[in-house]
Amino acid sequence: MAVPFGCHRAKTSHHRRTQLECARLYIFRGVIMLNWKFTASAGSLLLLAVTLSPPARSQQPESQQSSNARGKVTFGQSCAFCHGADATGARGPDLVRSALVAHDIKGDLIGPVIRDGRPDKGMPPQPLSADQISDIAAYLHARAKEALESSGVPSTYPVQKLLTGNADKGKAFFEGAGGCKACHSPTGDLAGVANRYPPIELQAHMLYPDDKEITATVTLPTGEQVSGIVSHLDDFVVSIRVGDKSGWYRSFRRKDVKLDIKDPLTAHRELLPKLTPADIHNLFAYINTLK
Amino acid sequence: MKSSFAKSKKLFLLMICVAAFPGRQVAAQALDTNALLKPATDTWPTYNGDYSGRRFSALDQINSENVGSLTLAWVFRTPAHTLKSTPLEVNGILYFTSPDHVWAVDARFGRQIWHYQRKSEGDHIGNRGVAMYKDYLFFESPDAHLICLNAKDGTVKWDIELADEKLGYFATMAPLVVKDHVIAGVSGDVTDIPGFLESVDPETGAIQWKWFTQPKPGEPGSETWPKDSDAILHGGGMTWMTGTYDPQLNLLYWGTGNPNPVLVGDGRPGDNLYTCTIVALNPDTGKLVWHFQPSPHDLHDWDAVQTPVLFDADYKGKPRKLLGQASRNGFYFLLDRTSGEHLVTAPFIETTWSSGIDPKGRPMAKPEATPSPDGALVAPGSDGATNWMAPSFDPQTNLFYVNARRLFSIYYNTVETKAEGWGGRDRNLWANSAIRALDYKTGKLIWNHELGDGESIAGILTTAGRLLFTGDNASNLLALDPATGKTLWHLNVGGHLVASPMTYQIDGRQYLIIPIQDTLYAFALPEKN
Repeated sequence: MAVPFGCHRAKTSHHRRTQLECARLYIFRGVIMLNWKFTASAGSLLLLAVTLSPPARSQQPESQQSSNARGKVTFGQSCAFCHGADATGARGPDLVRSALVAHDIKGDLIGPVIRDGRPDKGMPPQPLSADQISDIAAYLHARAKEALESSGVPSTYPVQKLLTGNADKGKAFFEGAGGCKACHSPTGDLAGVANRYPPIELQAHMLYPDDKEITATVTLPTGEQVSGIVSHLDDFVVSIRVGDKSGWYRSFRRKDVKLDIKDPLTAHRELLPKLTPADIHNLFAYINTLK
Repeated sequence: MKSSFAKSKKLFLLMICVAAFPGRQVAAQALDTNALLKPATDTWPTYNGDYSGRRFSALDQINSENVGSLTLAWVFRTPAHTLKSTPLEVNGILYFTSPDHVWAVDARFGRQIWHYQRKSEGDHIGNRGVAMYKDYLFFESPDAHLICLNAKDGTVKWDIELADEKLGYFATMAPLVVKDHVIAGVSGDVTDIPGFLESVDPETGAIQWKWFTQPKPGEPGSETWPKDSDAILHGGGMTWMTGTYDPQLNLLYWGTGNPNPVLVGDGRPGDNLYTCTIVALNPDTGKLVWHFQPSPHDLHDWDAVQTPVLFDADYKGKPRKLLGQASRNGFYFLLDRTSGEHLVTAPFIETTWSSGIDPKGRPMAKPEATPSPDGALVAPGSDGATNWMAPSFDPQTNLFYVNARRLFSIYYNTVETKAEGWGGRDRNLWANSAIRALDYKTGKLIWNHELGDGESIAGILTTAGRLLFTGDNASNLLALDPATGKTLWHLNVGGHLVASPMTYQIDGRQYLIIPIQDTLYAFALPEKN
């Protein structure tokens, strides 16, 4: 079948998350996806999402946060010379990946190592108080947690990292080779677009704005024509809201009707495989000026 | 290599209830170990149906002529779990799983026989199913234990720890029984831990061998890792999926996972063997015999754990023992499975990341496909051009079938200091899925059947009834003509196929089993009254 199933895009953004066989928890558009499950009756996905902004580690109780913060300072003074300022190892081992840290509960394993040292491996004892050891343990657990949650791009991702292109060249691409101006205008639909999304979202949206509606005209054997917003499309069935989203629902067997689909994202899909890194970053630099 | 961990292995021999009914004859329900060597017909005794991984059934009662009259035989609903497992079927009983759960269900009538539950820590992302040896089942748990159950009643025979859950290990795969070995793999690439395969004694759970997916420093292959760092000890390479086995060659074939840290390779220059690799191992010793690496120095989470499918067919006019894999990086590979000789590399989707094929047959990555702070647009995305869903090889059509996804994604390197775990992430833009039939000799596309926008995770089954079963992205089950890709039957089942179909025949009736979300559906032809 030649017609793409564009109207499933709304579902798609959920469906694709079921693919993540390698990352059980990740940050997506500022939302931490904790789990999902299917509602069999509706055949759609119900996302169990918890909005956490900014991300998880600042949700810790304040006392724990300050313990982490104190631990970071103490670690920097007493441990960082060998274990690295971020505990990822230098002369001494990486403690973020440490099995002992993974098994430690509030310093019960870390404490003895700090107090007694590891003379066989050249680590001297550190004369630290119980509170200081507790703080270091809190800091190391926070570092390990950061590594556990490292598979994500935060919604607060800084725009500076994305601004590697040239806005003038981006504008030229917009008006020329990119073909963008055939559908878009910087003073029309894109006016102020850079204010409507965080930068990381703006970049994704620029490449593929997957919230656009597909329209279709269905021609019945009688010659009657029905136009509207596509609400379902597969190989066998097409259903539309007649006129616009508020219209009545009508469904048709594909084999009984002629179907003419207008998918506003066709041009984006055709562009995706052609874009060079320079095209993308120049265009982003330009789009980011539309404030 | 033999494990130094063997002695420290926690071994819990929980001999419970074995003799609860001492007078009863239980041998009739046990798996004849020879059944594993025969093609599946009245039984489906291992994850892929047989050792070849072809997912082709010789059954033809349900066929292209009568598939239109397919009807529901029974429905079995589980309590709120997504079924990603392929059931086994042995002597009239189905055995299937979800994380923490195993069910035994009457294969004729869909009634529960027993339900085993074990609450555990660890990642509950999915479970692929069990393995069987005589009258024992083997199940892996989210906290990376391997548990032996009595198939008769689901009681625990033994329970061993495969790996330390506290370090980030978990387990999802269906183990593979080969002779008197239970081969078990592990999962978990969120932390930087080494992957391995372990073989244990089915009777006792005692370790027989353990093969790590990274060589020890100094061993062959270690030159593909940096010398002066601990990268090789933290290199990932999880054994997520069930492998295949050739009894004549006595070789075990397994795909390994991506290297760690994920997406960022600055700390691990080199090819990073044996991650993203297809390996052939001796099942009795765990010794590596040959290897081929689909994704050297992976930077995109493209593990090579997709089923290494075994088939015997002509190649350039000569009969060959072949191994085909449609890999997550978007390329189809054909190897000689006796020697590991590379024969074919061909893209099965339109990829944007490769600049060509190197002399060993491995795709080479373009520098601009490397995840970057400002974002690198790459197809496929990290979810892959395909993933764990089953491919199939049909000896009647000589076609290799794969669930192929065109998936554009932007990859970000978000690392500020040393990468640990993941060095960033990609964000999906647009995805579209299709079942693709490939000429096994060339990897060339023979037909394409669209499944719709989104990433399908539906597996594939082919049968001698000239049928290919799968599902689309709009909750339709599909029976396709395996020669042309044309739809012969469909049904809106109100949910997605997120596992792989299987089939068996009992009392003269062929059943088609399809897990849809939390429910198992059994289809068959109408019974004659």
